[in-house]
Amino acid sequence: MLLHRLVAVSPMLLCACFCLVSFPPNLLQLLLPRVSYLPVVTDKVKKHFLKVMRPEDVEEMWFEYEGTPLKWHYPIGVLFDLHASNTVLPWNITVHFKNFPDQDLLHCPSNSIVEAHFMSSIKEADSLKHKSQVVNDMQKKDHKQLWMGLQNDKFDQFWAMNRKLMEYPTEDGGFRYIPFRIYQTLSDRPFIQKLFRPVSPDCNAHTLGDLLKEMYPDALTNDGEQKRYQVLIHGIEPLLETPLQWLSEHLSHPDNFLHICVVPVPTD
Amino acid sequence: MDPGGASRRSSRSAETWRGHIIQQLKHRDRIQSAMFRDLIRFYTGLLEKTSLTKGFLSGSGRPPAESCARSSLQQLKKTTGELAYKVWELQQQITVKECDLQELQTRLQKEGGRLAEASEAKRALRDEVEQVRQKNKTLKAAYDALLQRQREAESKLREEKEKEERVLEDMMHQKKQAAARMNHRNERRSRARQATVQKQLQTAARSKVIVDSSPSTPTSRSTSPKPEDQDKSGGRGATRLFRSASASSPRFFSSIREMFDRKRRGHSVRSLEEDLPFPVGICLSARVPVRPLQVLEAHEQGINAVRFSFGSDLLATGGTDRVIKLWDVRAGSLTHRATLDGSTEGITCVEFDHTGRRILAASHNKSALLWRLDDSVPKVTLTGHSRKVTAARFTCVPHQVVTGSTDRTVRLWDLNRAACVQQGEVASFCSDLVCSDSRIISGHFDCKIRVWDSRTVSCVQELPSQGRVTSLDLSSDRRQLLSCCRDDCLQLLDLRWTNDRMCFRADGFKCGGDSTKAVISPDGCYLAAGSADGAVYIWNVSTGGLEARLPDQHSSSITAVSWSLSGEHFVSVDRSRRAVLWSDI
Repeated sequence: MLLHRLVAVSPMLLCACFCLVSFPPNLLQLLLPRVSYLPVVTDKVKKHFLKVMRPEDVEEMWFEYEGTPLKWHYPIGVLFDLHASNTVLPWNITVHFKNFPDQDLLHCPSNSIVEAHFMSSIKEADSLKHKSQVVNDMQKKDHKQLWMGLQNDKFDQFWAMNRKLMEYPTEDGGFRYIPFRIYQTLSDRPFIQKLFRPVSPDCNAHTLGDLLKEMYPDALTNDGEQKRYQVLIHGIEPLLETPLQWLSEHLSHPDNFLHICVVPVPTD
Repeated sequence: MDPGGASRRSSRSAETWRGHIIQQLKHRDRIQSAMFRDLIRFYTGLLEKTSLTKGFLSGSGRPPAESCARSSLQQLKKTTGELAYKVWELQQQITVKECDLQELQTRLQKEGGRLAEASEAKRALRDEVEQVRQKNKTLKAAYDALLQRQREAESKLREEKEKEERVLEDMMHQKKQAAARMNHRNERRSRARQATVQKQLQTAARSKVIVDSSPSTPTSRSTSPKPEDQDKSGGRGATRLFRSASASSPRFFSSIREMFDRKRRGHSVRSLEEDLPFPVGICLSARVPVRPLQVLEAHEQGINAVRFSFGSDLLATGGTDRVIKLWDVRAGSLTHRATLDGSTEGITCVEFDHTGRRILAASHNKSALLWRLDDSVPKVTLTGHSRKVTAARFTCVPHQVVTGSTDRTVRLWDLNRAACVQQGEVASFCSDLVCSDSRIISGHFDCKIRVWDSRTVSCVQELPSQGRVTSLDLSSDRRQLLSCCRDDCLQLLDLRWTNDRMCFRADGFKCGGDSTKAVISPDGCYLAAGSADGAVYIWNVSTGGLEARLPDQHSSSITAVSWSLSGEHFVSVDRSRRAVLWSDI
């Protein structure tokens, strides 16, 4: 649980940089939680910048970093690891209010969209883990509790419900399949997501290394070679022999997915 | 796969990667957030202050209100979240409590059920107890009633027992008294006898006796009564009527011898002279009686039988008063000599034996009795008939007696054993018997006369008679049989030519009863019978007609008659106790 707290509560510094041609640069500095989503925590940003802008110029808000529009449906921690993991903090993001890039981003008019996306991720994860039994047994108020816990940053409230999603029948040794996504920087594919069991047929627990060997063997370093990639979860590199089941239980994001970022090792 | 080793390895490696992860996270925090936390805080504070002052400066109160409203809205949202969480927690508790409640209720129901069962069982048991008590009560009542009855029965039993004892005592007492009386009488008699014997001895010692025996005057013997008595009692066998071997001395001595013999007590009725065969006396002539010599009231009640002894000097009469009286016939008169009692009921028939010393009588008490002349107590009692004995006779065999009775049997008795030797069944009452040499002749109510063989007691011949036979008599030569019938007729039969019959009737002669006796005269010339009108009728055998009729002496019907063997005397007795001695003198 200590780990959970460490993971969840550790926010991250985010620096919003405003860049607008017509306006003088305005800076806003925020501390954002890794596990949340951009639209949920950036109300202050909107409020702040609306003070200095004409209302008629304000359209949907969107963020970008070094030219790449940031997808709001990724958790913030994933975005940081993927784009700016080795840069110096604070992380400078630019907020835009015009020219929404329709090809790259999804529209997000309100928080309820985020909530819907969040809940669907949870359901997807549970369908992989428990064939959707647990999430279907939960009532609507329980789902609401999960979202509220995330939105209001209430650790206990969230985990009272999330605990059920992390249970598994002891004879199985783990979930049915591990819900994970492997994000790559240099690829057309958004992420790798496949079926992977936590326990091998001969009752060995699968490790992170096994997963990578199966899904993304390039990420692994062979003997004698130099390390080319970093495997990041929540901004840290766990050892490759860490059991996958444990990782899924303890280092999942609130949407119950294990988001793994593979970034090239910085050369300088 | 070694799970222990794997777990140990995994636990070691688990600690490795876990520790690594924690380390990394802490490092990341330090780098990425811890540094900036305080800075951001101050910065945000400043920002707010500036915006506030800007708002104040610009003079519009809206933004702060808006921000306040927005912050309060956010606050409310937070509280709703918290409340929702609390609601959820409370609901969890409620479910837990409901489970407990459910459990408790089920337990309560179970207990309620068990309690109901137990009370049911208790009720049933109570009912059973009630029933058992009731049954107990009824049983006890029945038992008490039975006990009561038993007590009553016991007391009754005791009373009856006492009564029985008393009755027994009375009986014993009476019997004792009777026995004492008998003893007393016997003693008196024996003493009397002793006294007479003493006197006789004395007189005998003193005087000499000359005894003259004459055939025609048996009564002359009575001139010397005492020695004669002695002789009679002593040597009756020697003093046969018509053989007078009379030497006084041998008789004298034999009589003395007899006395000493008599001292021998015993049940034997035998004595020396008795065994001698007796000669049959022949009467030369019987004389028709003409006038009565003596009339006397002989008994207390009616007289049934009369018989002269063969010595013609003793008469025996027997009657309803249960005694036999012996009379001496002397000088034309009867003097009472002795009384023989011992019969409990009336005498029907009397006979002397051929020695003249024993008397046989048949009695109503179903027995025949034998007396010795000097004993007044019967020597032998022959019991065995089931009804009254009508006739008892000595047979030709010594010490044998034949009896006939209304129980339709004829019995042959042995006197020594006093037991019935043989028995012959007849279909009808036997009213009279006579004995000839080896034959017994009996007369019966069914108008038949039966002749029996005396050895086998089997009926040899049956002779018809005119009517019911009331008496039989045999002539002295044993050839003529006289039967008297109820239809007032006398019939004389020749025993050898049984078809030769003579019937005698007379006007006015009526048979008085079922046992009226008729006799043949000793010489066989006359028949005599007594009639119901109190007259004696005498017929002449050769003429067949009535010879004489002797009325006026009897007032009631004559039951029996007897002719003395000498032919001189005739006796008739009647129902009114009268006996008449007739003669022709």
